[in-house]
Amino acid sequence: MPITTINPASALEGRYPVTAPSLRFWLVPLLLSLLFGYALWQARALEVAPFAVPAPAEGAGDSALDRLLVPEFESRFASTGFHSHVHSSSIAPLPDGGLISVWFAGSREGAEDVNIRTSRYDPATQRWGEEFKLISRETTERVLQRDIRKLGNPVISLAPNGRLWLFYVSVSMGGWAGSAINAMHSDDGGDSWSAPRRLITSPFLNISTLVRNPPVFHRDGSMGLPVYHEFLGKFAEYLYLSPDGRILDKFRISSGNHSLQPAIVPLGGDSALALLRNAGVEHGKVLATYTRDRGRTWSEHVPVAPWNPDSAVAAIGEGDGHILVALNDIADGRFRLTLYQTDETLKNWRQVAVLDESPRPEEWVEPALFRDSLHRKYTAIAEDGEETPGMLAELQRHAEKRACRHGSCTFKYEYPTLIRAANGDFHMVYSWNNTLIKHVVFNHAWVEKG
Amino acid sequence: MTSGEIFGHLTVAALVFMLLPVTRLGLAARGAALLAALGLAFVPVAGLSIGDYTRSYTDDVAITSLLWLLWGVALRVSGRAPTPLRQHRQLALVFAVLALALYPATLGLAAHDPYRLGFSPAPMLAAAWVLCLGLWWMRNALAVALISLATVAYLLDIKDSDNYWDYLVDPLLGLYCCVYLARDGWRRRRGQAAAAL
Repeated sequence: MPITTINPASALEGRYPVTAPSLRFWLVPLLLSLLFGYALWQARALEVAPFAVPAPAEGAGDSALDRLLVPEFESRFASTGFHSHVHSSSIAPLPDGGLISVWFAGSREGAEDVNIRTSRYDPATQRWGEEFKLISRETTERVLQRDIRKLGNPVISLAPNGRLWLFYVSVSMGGWAGSAINAMHSDDGGDSWSAPRRLITSPFLNISTLVRNPPVFHRDGSMGLPVYHEFLGKFAEYLYLSPDGRILDKFRISSGNHSLQPAIVPLGGDSALALLRNAGVEHGKVLATYTRDRGRTWSEHVPVAPWNPDSAVAAIGEGDGHILVALNDIADGRFRLTLYQTDETLKNWRQVAVLDESPRPEEWVEPALFRDSLHRKYTAIAEDGEETPGMLAELQRHAEKRACRHGSCTFKYEYPTLIRAANGDFHMVYSWNNTLIKHVVFNHAWVEKG
Repeated sequence: MTSGEIFGHLTVAALVFMLLPVTRLGLAARGAALLAALGLAFVPVAGLSIGDYTRSYTDDVAITSLLWLLWGVALRVSGRAPTPLRQHRQLALVFAVLALALYPATLGLAAHDPYRLGFSPAPMLAAAWVLCLGLWWMRNALAVALISLATVAYLLDIKDSDNYWDYLVDPLLGLYCCVYLARDGWRRRRGQAAAAL
């Protein structure tokens, strides 16, 4: 017996039948109600846990307190190889007290031979080990079974449960606007890693979500990964992930066409600050926005004091109401990297130190000056045995290839990442003329003295 | 193979088959053409199959897209009449509206992001429930089947995505439906104009 009587004349057009629905007609609405009722029962409202605000530095004993009182500052290189393009580093503490850093390197930005590289810092020897390849374009392609054209922007972070997370972008078509984020994790301090997994963050071909700065954590172990879009608009978002890396929600930090690469600083259980790279077409200042509801909504972003020449910003809370910010505080170029201390209002800025800069306060300098400064800076901080003539020549070749054009060269100290280790030390890595990754470590006393 | 890879290869095979001129062929020949289309999706090129390449650029299609395509394939293989015009129009309208509500805003053309509704989708599920009841009242069983099966797939978590939107609509489906409606509207208007003469 048919469910309904179809009028043959209207069958082709699929018009509604005119006869009354039979009892069997009501079976489908009943089944639909069961299905969607169950789905609604399963779909619980999302609770966003309070931010886990890092505590002030631990003072585990007299020696630890002494360390906090004596200003300390050291610098060294985290990368050990030379590539034509070395960029976008990130750093995380390891459970054993060491450090791990990641960056991308290859013949040029976006080249097929770019891979994600890593090295580890051994606190016993106080040296970075040999760098090696952590993940390549080919491996990503093979695991994901997708055509991958290039890799970039690795971000590494240690979760409160001891799990290391690595996020990086890959592109199947087009430029960086075609990026998607991949996630890997390690439960043994970086000795072994899970296979990369694609995060689905956008409904439009899953393109144009990039990562640059490390995640912040919430008290239940969930994490907030600051990400950004740069396809039709340039705006920042907060990707809210479960402790096992599943996407729970996504909140918009900014809108429009000129803000990228948010750096998040938790201020309290409910509040946090995001500093944004200003990608506007005119010279601009660093942009800032606040959340008071654990990342769900963010205030309208406003410019703050330092200049931002469309370059990455790093920030971290000191735990006492102060915030450290590393950035290129210049209108044009990336030839000076400065560390500032500010407070939660972002109205008071104190320059702590200029971490690296060109010998002349201008973007372009003559090759001889570039070469001389490069040699002096490199030999000043290179580890014993690294500063051979061959190494210097190699450094110069790669740096000049990247930095010199039409008889002039430019220094680039950019893309900083700032973290704080459990012993209270601050660690920062950044791109050193796109040729090496530089690591600086300093303590609270040095910041206060600066 | 992951579910995404399986769906990717099925999508390529179904699309290729739907483009083939098989309506005048016999049942066996149509079946052979379908198998050939499926085989084509698995042809390796430099380490990846054609299905993998397609999926690389389109990302995984929505469950509704795949099921609609497979329904079309089933009708073609069996030689049955295509989906009635009115049902097709209703389906196209539903998915075109979903696509237009989602993509421009989520790509940054609006301050709000509708995509995030799909991560905690209670309001979307309630809307889909009402939509399905309405479509069933209009006797559009295919539309009801597509949306409800996509919801079952979401509950079973068979896609990589954690977002309900990705089970309901994808850019290619949205584009197809918008183009279909535009073409259909133009044809209807032209038909009315001809009838008035």
